[in-house]
Amino acid sequence: MKEPVEIIDGTTGQFVDAELFDEITVEHFLETKKLWRPLVLRASEKLRAQGRQNMLPDYTNWDWTKKEPYLHMLATKFFGITCRKALQGIEVVQTENITGDCQCRLPVQRGKSLLYVDYLQVAPWNIKVLMEPIGEKVEFRGVGSRLMEAAIRFSIEEGFKGRIGLHSLPSSEPFYRNECGMVPVMRDPRKQNLLWFEFTPDQAQAYLGGDI
Amino acid sequence: MNVKRTMTLNLTDSEMKVLEELSRQKDLTKTTVIRQALRLYQLIDARIKRGEKLFFEDPEQKKAELMVL
Repeated sequence: MKEPVEIIDGTTGQFVDAELFDEITVEHFLETKKLWRPLVLRASEKLRAQGRQNMLPDYTNWDWTKKEPYLHMLATKFFGITCRKALQGIEVVQTENITGDCQCRLPVQRGKSLLYVDYLQVAPWNIKVLMEPIGEKVEFRGVGSRLMEAAIRFSIEEGFKGRIGLHSLPSSEPFYRNECGMVPVMRDPRKQNLLWFEFTPDQAQAYLGGDI
Repeated sequence: MNVKRTMTLNLTDSEMKVLEELSRQKDLTKTTVIRQALRLYQLIDARIKRGEKLFFEDPEQKKAELMVL
């Protein structure tokens, strides 16, 4: 699957053409190591020098190469977004797993199946708190939102009606709560007390219809 | 979207009842329930082949049960 999506140029504020795709390979995982990691380290050093190391988002040390065994699992689906020949964001979702994370917890839909967003990450040059310390603007905005839309569409396509659930890292809670409008349900003691968010079908539709 | 292929699935009455009940509980079509079962089977099988073990745990009775496929 390859389809055009629009993201926003961080400098001009204009929409630019990007591509959403699901044929993720090990090469994409290696790209996150080769191109994303050095920038994260550079920004980390600056933040540390400024005494603001606590500003470093907690998802910047993910190692996508560890996800390689899941590339061919039926229960796992990867999405990526490229623009100007570079990977701008990547996510992995699960339609089924053995941890119970594909079950709704929100009382109105408890026990029903949902699509679990396992990991979602945008390239470091698209993260404001990383680019600011090195004196640069973010390259693109809206990458995370497009990946969330892809997850919702996949949830609908797979029969989950848009129901989505995820564990949010602390630094991402504002994104899921305020920008996506997801419902914070509970802290999960099984997952480092991370906050569990859900979308109902109506909320998912509202998100797709929004202008984020 | 992946191209889907069609097959006929013959089930006994009791199997169909279970499928219908799971379909109702999970708010999924019967086809999706079967696809979910296949995904889970593959996931568990792959991990067991890698040498991992699957346990069910009852936190109240502090009892763990090994599951073998």
